[in-house]
Amino acid sequence: MEEHPHQPAPEEPRTDGQPGDRELVERSQKGDGEAFAILVERHQRQLYRLALRMTGSEADAQEILQEAFLNAYQKLPLFRGDAQFSSWLYRIAANSALMRLRRKRRAPDALTDQPLELAGPRFSAEGSLEPTSSSDWSQRADERMMSGQLGSAINKAVEELPEDYRTVFLLKDVDGLSNEDIAESLELTVPAVKSRLHRARLALREKLGEFFDPPAK
Amino acid sequence: MQLHHCKECVDLLGEYVEGTLPPDRAKALEEHLSACPPCITFVRTYKATRGLCRKALSREMPQELMSSLSSFLGKHVPGFARPKSDTPAAPEDSAADSAPKKV
Repeated sequence: MEEHPHQPAPEEPRTDGQPGDRELVERSQKGDGEAFAILVERHQRQLYRLALRMTGSEADAQEILQEAFLNAYQKLPLFRGDAQFSSWLYRIAANSALMRLRRKRRAPDALTDQPLELAGPRFSAEGSLEPTSSSDWSQRADERMMSGQLGSAINKAVEELPEDYRTVFLLKDVDGLSNEDIAESLELTVPAVKSRLHRARLALREKLGEFFDPPAK
Repeated sequence: MQLHHCKECVDLLGEYVEGTLPPDRAKALEEHLSACPPCITFVRTYKATRGLCRKALSREMPQELMSSLSSFLGKHVPGFARPKSDTPAAPEDSAADSAPKKV
């Protein structure tokens, strides 16, 4: 019996009768371009959303997708199946987006006015929540609001997060990666991921609170 | 352990909503919540923030971009051919359909 030096990541069977990622990866590794095309078809929408949200630019998202899928294809011989293919692909795309953002940040005309401090709840000297944090808007959003001003407010609030916090938030709360995967992708410790995620959520919660209960002028 | 202040409660929320807070700390937090309506509201709005953002940030990938990606890869990947209709498009809101699984 053949020995496997690594334990393949478990894969749930698909309900649409299509071959699973693992089979498609193995076929792609043997040079089956059609199998790789199915993988692209299957994962491109999710990668597009990630790239677009990270960069805020359609043009950048397009280039990131091209770069990520080509990079993934070229690295396929190195893919051992220890992780899900989708997670591995995500890491490649997230790294591509981050490198692009960092290059832009170093550019002479890059914006440098990122906020140094994130918004968060206010506490009294004794550590109790200030009354301004107390309105319950958790059930007040409806479809109409989501497609209108609320959707715009959320997009703006996420864009305004410092890049490192925004990336962690998007990968975790929007795309559902594990803290461990994010830590590996971004070369952070898991506690650092948790900390950034929590602070990003607190800042976004404040912005949403301001949307539902605008501060009196 | 016992939580004396709302700030301690808020500091633990990240792990609490993910269910990764150690049991003794989760119990202490829930005891604080049972006597602190502002913190209950805070937890609700903290949880709602995640759901609202996920919903608001979903976006359809334009067909033109799919075509250009396919053309690009067709030039670099031997035998690459975009599937026609045998792979159904993922519903926009079902991130779980193609979202990475925990490894």
